[in-house]
Amino acid sequence: MAPVIAARDVSYAYPDGTLGLDGVDVTLDPGERVAVLGPNGSGKSTLQLVLGGLEPPDSGHVEYFGGERDPERVRDRLAVLLQDPDDYLFNSTVREDLEYGPAQLDVPRETAQQRIDRLADALHLDGLLDRPPFRLSAGEKERAALAAALATGPDVLLLDEPTSNLDGPGRERVLGVLDDVAAQGTTLVTFTPGTDLVPRVADRVLLLGAGGSVVARGSVREILTDAELLAEQGLRPPATVRLFDDLVADPPLTVSDGRTLLGDTDLTR
Amino acid sequence: MLCHAATTITGVLRSFFVAEQTAARDGFLQSRQPLATLLGTAALLVGVVVSRDPLVVAALAPVPLALALASSVSLRQVAARTVPVAFASLVVVAPQAFLFPGRSLVEVAGFAVTADGLSYVVTFTLRVWTGVSLLAVLVLTTPFADVVAALRRLRVPVALVWVLVLTYRYLFLFFSELRRLLRAREGRTVGARGLRQRWRELGQLSGTFLIRTLERGERVHRGMRARGGARPPSPYDRTGETGPTDVLFVASAVAVAISAGVIRWLL
Repeated sequence: MAPVIAARDVSYAYPDGTLGLDGVDVTLDPGERVAVLGPNGSGKSTLQLVLGGLEPPDSGHVEYFGGERDPERVRDRLAVLLQDPDDYLFNSTVREDLEYGPAQLDVPRETAQQRIDRLADALHLDGLLDRPPFRLSAGEKERAALAAALATGPDVLLLDEPTSNLDGPGRERVLGVLDDVAAQGTTLVTFTPGTDLVPRVADRVLLLGAGGSVVARGSVREILTDAELLAEQGLRPPATVRLFDDLVADPPLTVSDGRTLLGDTDLTR
Repeated sequence: MLCHAATTITGVLRSFFVAEQTAARDGFLQSRQPLATLLGTAALLVGVVVSRDPLVVAALAPVPLALALASSVSLRQVAARTVPVAFASLVVVAPQAFLFPGRSLVEVAGFAVTADGLSYVVTFTLRVWTGVSLLAVLVLTTPFADVVAALRRLRVPVALVWVLVLTYRYLFLFFSELRRLLRAREGRTVGARGLRQRWRELGQLSGTFLIRTLERGERVHRGMRARGGARPPSPYDRTGETGPTDVLFVASAVAVAISAGVIRWLL
């Protein structure tokens, strides 16, 4: 099956000449869950914009769904959730913002309404739909922005730090929705500097270095348990990996895996 | 002080344009087709704009108030959105009371207020207030997306709708960005500063503000494009079936506009 996004030798320089991306190759297959991990300033957000067709690369090219090079032609299949919800929510009410994408992309109104109802329920936005976005809390904005991105019914979702403003329950709610979306076959690409989030949202990792180039690719376990590799990029393994690293050969990547491991271990004195 | 002013302006703008509660109420204009509301309001606005006779303007002035009351919008809400604008126009046009030739009514500080001058000032201010009130009632009773959908249905040129949509969105961004910038500045400013230093800071602030507004505008534009915003604005059309009241409202408003034109140019 053709990749949903294939970027070849993509480079991008900021207006001041600083190199943001340096010869990046990315291939995303249908239904994949991928994390683009990297320290601050490594070009994660820039790569998201380039892959999402919101910034043209200076060199190289990006193809969508097996050969399409114009992102506007596939906008109905490609959703890009920007890092700052304030850049994403610009309508008078949350409901209008959720309707904006489907209306622009010619999604039938009934279909859009069903999606919006479902998303509002899943992300606990029911009581917020008729409120202006600027009156929402940071966490509410983040959830509303995710709902707005998903309301278009995309095949590919590019998310920039989707849980950065969320409290514990809000984070779990969003991750639950992303699990459901991935289970339906949507390709999920999460751009984040947080190693703790990666095992929850990805099966494969692309590690970006400070110069905007890909320094490693591999499974979540391969990348997140390589403390030396992560340290070279100014990152640390997830807390659970650090906790169990010297105790077991294959440290758990998530808290729930850690609890399972502890449940199997006799800790009684 | 600047921060306070920016906050106030942002608050006023938001309260003027955002009316999530009143638009959801059960009222006369809320029950109308958005297209009928838009056409009726536009016709009434034309009537106000073409009117020059003080009696005609005075007769039109209660119309937005009547529409507000029929639409469950409090007069206080309308006044809060319109009186500052009317007052500003009064300040701008007030010198005309002295500059217009004609019969002198009273002398103020050696300058004569003429009857024609006073009439012009009152009529002008009332026209501004009536026009702004009509817009305020429209905004308070009709969601912005419905207005855009109605404009598209009326086949208003896409470029014009684009301008309206972008102006509406960037108006908030502009003042929100200014407020953020001023708040950040005041949060890190201690001690008294001289006038010269204040002016220098204001100059630097203006440059930073311009750059930040442009950058923010670019980011929001990306947010729009990410959801199909590169295409012409096309919100869902909520227009339902046209009822007799819709037709009556538009017809009455058009009659008002035509009458105002006849009075001005033919009588």
